[in-house]
Amino acid sequence: MKRETDYGHPVKDVYTPKDIEGLDYERDLGDPGVYPYARGYHPKGYRSRLWTQRMTAGLGSSVETNKILKKYREMGERGGMCVICDRTFAMPIDADHPIGRKEVGILGWPGASLLEFEELMDGIPMTGQSVTLLSTCGSAQLQLAYIVAYAEKNGVDLNEVHGAAMSYPFANCFGQSDCQPLDLNLKLFLDSSEYAIRNKIKMRSAILSQHCKESGANDAQALAVEMAMLNELCGLLVNERGLDFDDVAALPFELVSVGMRFFEEIAKMRALRRMWAKLAKEKFKAKKDKSCQLLIAVHTSGRTMTYQQPLNNIVRTTIETLAGVIGGCTAIDNATMDNAHAEPSELAARMSLNTQHIISDETGVADVVDPLAGSYFVESLTSKVEEEAYKIWDEIEDLGGMVAAVEKGYIRNMIEEAMRERQREVESGDRVIIGVNKLAIPPEDDFEIPLREVTPEDSEKIARRMEEWKKTRNMGLIEESLFQLHKDAKKEDRFNLMPSIIEAVKVYATAGEVMGVIRKARGLSYDPFEMIDCPFNFE
Amino acid sequence: MNKRKNIKAIVSMIGLDQHVVGGVVVASILKNAGIEVVYLGVYQTAEMIVQAAIQEDVDAIGISSHGSNYGQIEEMMGLLKERGMDDVLVICGGTIPKKQISRLKEKGVSEIFTPQSTSESIVDYIVSNVRGSNGGAN
Repeated sequence: MKRETDYGHPVKDVYTPKDIEGLDYERDLGDPGVYPYARGYHPKGYRSRLWTQRMTAGLGSSVETNKILKKYREMGERGGMCVICDRTFAMPIDADHPIGRKEVGILGWPGASLLEFEELMDGIPMTGQSVTLLSTCGSAQLQLAYIVAYAEKNGVDLNEVHGAAMSYPFANCFGQSDCQPLDLNLKLFLDSSEYAIRNKIKMRSAILSQHCKESGANDAQALAVEMAMLNELCGLLVNERGLDFDDVAALPFELVSVGMRFFEEIAKMRALRRMWAKLAKEKFKAKKDKSCQLLIAVHTSGRTMTYQQPLNNIVRTTIETLAGVIGGCTAIDNATMDNAHAEPSELAARMSLNTQHIISDETGVADVVDPLAGSYFVESLTSKVEEEAYKIWDEIEDLGGMVAAVEKGYIRNMIEEAMRERQREVESGDRVIIGVNKLAIPPEDDFEIPLREVTPEDSEKIARRMEEWKKTRNMGLIEESLFQLHKDAKKEDRFNLMPSIIEAVKVYATAGEVMGVIRKARGLSYDPFEMIDCPFNFE
Repeated sequence: MNKRKNIKAIVSMIGLDQHVVGGVVVASILKNAGIEVVYLGVYQTAEMIVQAAIQEDVDAIGISSHGSNYGQIEEMMGLLKERGMDDVLVICGGTIPKKQISRLKEKGVSEIFTPQSTSESIVDYIVSNVRGSNGGAN
């Protein structure tokens, strides 16, 4: 077994004051609530605001996902709700698309129209909790439009709604099902973000290192990619869209993937706070303190959940959740013991939510802010991961930034190399995984956990419903709104499409139609898979 | 080794699954073992994979799957059978629940490799079971 960090730095047997020589408390850490925020944003930590304890929902139809959301609230979800889109909506294509219908409702919520959002939110308050909708860039603009349209139709004060609905444009570099080209994703990210900022809608955009880490990157790489993305995307909103950085700084939220390297994970979160604070203040000249505080939520790592001996995953989730809590975060949705088999069963979800509650209410770890500050080991790790991340981030900048690094294949090569290295480490036993390469048992002796699954018949049912429902819509209104969208999408990239998307969504145009029309206006095929023709004639 | 050099295999994701980690890792494991790999990548339909198998005249098809209802793998098995390609070895890998494993095997999938299967076990299985080998269909 190797004794080194996740990113290959040797770990010593003991750490002493020598390991933190040169560390200046005021300059490098600061009290909690004080720049550079390595120790957190709130002087009283979780005493002033407990982290949002939530569980990601999304499986089957919108009605079924709504039931799961309600169940999570009964199970002790507090502070906010979180929904993830399914693969069809992620693209986005409609449930009745020839490919889509075969797997709609898998791994998420099939939110391809305002009707689906209405069913999702039925009986669930839009205010008084954060509403987080995780997706990809293409579906994110729809989600923002749903929020606006739903609030208007249901008399909800849009100013009172907060959460996250938008998404960063690089998710498909990290294994997310999103088939749109990067330039289009980038435009949609800028449009939806700019619209939310200018209209003071408190919906954030996910700019995540989670997907990067979960697809194979190590901690230093994930941190570097996160900073490179934040730098570039915030820079574009300031420079290309003419927004004030202090408004832009309230847009991003980061979802850190917290794995099993306990102290390293805590160090990574502390380093990230410090790196963002410096970027905000030194480069973007932030005027508000708040702008130097990146919202960091935690998702405990699905990648660390093993298929073998799944009950071991309860222990892993506990350790990871604890690291997330000690690292100081705003929200946690933790992985579930069945993650390597299927979407969370009721039992698995309950266990994970209980894990959060046991940590918050029984252990006392939430009583003291940043309890590991001053530890020779943790401070040394914090500085080290930051140093390594800056090196990688510099390499990305030398290539011309994140978009250029993606286009030149740098990001893909980095991730693929990291994932092959990990496989090699597991096979050689350098990286021990209990129940996998140590203390393994025959599959027939393994404990059977209950699983929640979606069948091909379930998918087909969702597809048929959409097919039938589509025929009942007022096509005149839809064509009119899509005509406008098509016209707008032909204008220069800086012309914001959100107003016409919102109008189309309000009259129940679907995700596939909205995206198809935008694609067509840009000279792309209406259907990304070229299986269906554009049903509208705009010529 | 010679035998391995003569083996040709497709590695692909199926449908809208864009989780490529498993597929990328397995493709490089097979290449390192001397197997010729045709990596199809993402967004492949059952029909596209079968067409590629015909054109490339492969001995084996490996489908990497992360979260699915497995309908499209069954559809592919149906197409292979329909076109008399039963001798192409089909293996799947990924987060596939036990119940689905037996169902897929009933449909003709030869073996399922669950997460963290070793490189050796995957390569050995293909070499010993592919058409023309001692254990495989001829």
